[in-house]
Amino acid sequence: MRPGADARADALTVRKLFRKTRFGFFALFALVVLAISILSIRAVSRELRDEYVSNSRSIAKNIADSSVDILLNRNLATLQSLIDQFVEIQSIRYIYITSDTGEFLAHTFIPGIPDQILASDLSATEPVERSIAGMGDFVEVGSPILSGVAGTVRVGMDLELLGLKIQRAVGQQLYLLCIILVVGVLASIWLVNLASKPLADLLDYAARLARSRAGDAPPDEAILVRDDEVGDMARLIKYAATPPDDSRERAGSGG
Amino acid sequence: MRSRDGAAGKGGRVCETNRMTRRSLIRRGLGALIGAPLAGRLGAETPGAPHVPRPRPGSRPVRDDRIVLGVSAAFSGPSRALGTELYRGSMAYFNQVNENGGVNGRRIEMKLLDDGYQPDPCVANTIELMQDESVFLLFNYVGTPTVTRALPVLKKFRDQQVYLFFPFTGAEPQREPPYGEFAFNLRASYRQETAGLVNNFLGIGRRRVAVFYQNDAYGRSGWAGVREALAAHGETMAGEATYTRGTQFGASMRRAVEILQARSPDAVICIGAYQACAAFARDAEVLGLHIPVANVSFVGSENLLGLMRDNHSDPDSHTRWLVNSQVVPSYEDTSLPAVREYHELMERHAPPPPAAEQVDRIAEGEPYETVSRSFVSLEGFVNAKMITEIIGRMGDNPTRAGIEEAVFQVRNYNLGVGERVRFGPGRRQGLQRVYYTVPEGDRFVPLADWEERFGVA
Repeated sequence: MRPGADARADALTVRKLFRKTRFGFFALFALVVLAISILSIRAVSRELRDEYVSNSRSIAKNIADSSVDILLNRNLATLQSLIDQFVEIQSIRYIYITSDTGEFLAHTFIPGIPDQILASDLSATEPVERSIAGMGDFVEVGSPILSGVAGTVRVGMDLELLGLKIQRAVGQQLYLLCIILVVGVLASIWLVNLASKPLADLLDYAARLARSRAGDAPPDEAILVRDDEVGDMARLIKYAATPPDDSRERAGSGG
Repeated sequence: MRSRDGAAGKGGRVCETNRMTRRSLIRRGLGALIGAPLAGRLGAETPGAPHVPRPRPGSRPVRDDRIVLGVSAAFSGPSRALGTELYRGSMAYFNQVNENGGVNGRRIEMKLLDDGYQPDPCVANTIELMQDESVFLLFNYVGTPTVTRALPVLKKFRDQQVYLFFPFTGAEPQREPPYGEFAFNLRASYRQETAGLVNNFLGIGRRRVAVFYQNDAYGRSGWAGVREALAAHGETMAGEATYTRGTQFGASMRRAVEILQARSPDAVICIGAYQACAAFARDAEVLGLHIPVANVSFVGSENLLGLMRDNHSDPDSHTRWLVNSQVVPSYEDTSLPAVREYHELMERHAPPPPAAEQVDRIAEGEPYETVSRSFVSLEGFVNAKMITEIIGRMGDNPTRAGIEEAVFQVRNYNLGVGERVRFGPGRRQGLQRVYYTVPEGDRFVPLADWEERFGVA
């Protein structure tokens, strides 16, 4: 093997010392990103869902408040017209109004009222999640009309759309975190390389010094003037490599 | 996107069917020349001059030689046949009136705006018409979802006293509080039509009545009528299925048919427009739902029949189960004076659909092929005849404020349709009768015997 090639191999060997450090950096960053992502997904989905339910409640209450006179006037065409306007809001997929006896007075289902809704408890107004065949998943909230004696309004909000919104919000955060992760890993590699270079130089110096005893050219001694630990190590190596009869020289070099 | 004054109106779907005559321009010019010095003398703009009260909104008389009726209707889209045929029927009569010198010297013109049978454009059109001082009243609006949304606009501008006359819908919102006071209806209501259909079905032993309806205010209005009529007999609806407004004939209605089929109905009442109802009747026939399929007047009977008969090997059997309720008599019943007049004037004037320069359509589609005679154009004709009579009763100086009083004077008027027209306070619907028709060849004819045609074997 040629001396230069040996030195490069030795330098690489030195870098191997930091493999674990690099992995540690990477693992730590990944852990941070993962933890933030999980917390973020949970926080965003909870907040968006709460907002969704809150909006649904507001809409249902709004319709319920507007419906009293219309219902009492038996004006179901106007009632339908009212809910048709609300269903144009993007996240609302269906609205239905039932009487106090559970009869469907107006709704937005096409081509018919789903069996799951026909079979559901029409007295409850608490938010419920529904999975309707052919339509999707929904969170449904209700609001009583005239304290329930005139009927109930129920609004179904599209959970698929909510999922998309959550994905979009979380995706933006993950995108940022991934950029931080990549920059962090690259920075850690650069820092490790920075730290390992003097050690590689020291190793190169020691190897060249050893080969000089076999007749090769002596190594560049610039490393001996460093005032850090690597310089100390280089001087110590040179001292150890000098034969005992050169003690005066050894002492001089060590000074 | 043009308007008469050159301003870009919303959608600009503006036209006036008759242009201002040279004589009216001269008259206006003279009026301005004479009126300006007089106004100066009265000191209307002079500080300290005696206050001259401005006329109350609506009390201003019509000044020039024309009466403008504002129209927002479907002139494009899947329901364009309804707006177009209603317009054609009215124009046949107005052309005749105008040829004979107009009403008390004033020509009758229509300012047409297209709403495509969509509520939002109709609201915008109505606001535009309300803000146009030349518009004397609103006329021939088409559809429940459109009219239902336009009614609050009339209430908002109530001080202008612009009334909606004879909308092509039998829904309740323009017949009941809080908006009933802003409209006058000529035709029978959907409640009357559906009650008649239900009563006849129950009368022949078809007790399980289901409803197929357009899922909007129109469909709900008819649905409510059926529900109410059944409840009066202690019955409930056998089933219901819906479709989206604007559905075309090419769409499949199999799922809707299957939903109803599962409820084993004896009859289905459709509350929809001709394209979707024709698609439903077609798929019901294909899927073996051999029961009467009824439609209300809004459907546009001739257009429905045309769609169902076209390209069908056995059109008579294909349409055998159809029965349509109508709010005007059969256009074949020439024993009635109004029908004879309709025949004569439709032939004489043959009104074309509104031209491109008359109405800027929201959406362009295939060219519309007119129907020579139809229930819809007959209704437009009858509407025109009635409004002409009302305007005529207002004398030489008609004002918006005087409209309601003029309508209430119509207490026993013979319109020539076999039923006298009565209006009055608390009675804002002139006609009450409902007619039932079935297909015979390529036209609908009066249904003579329900039992014979649809009786349960």
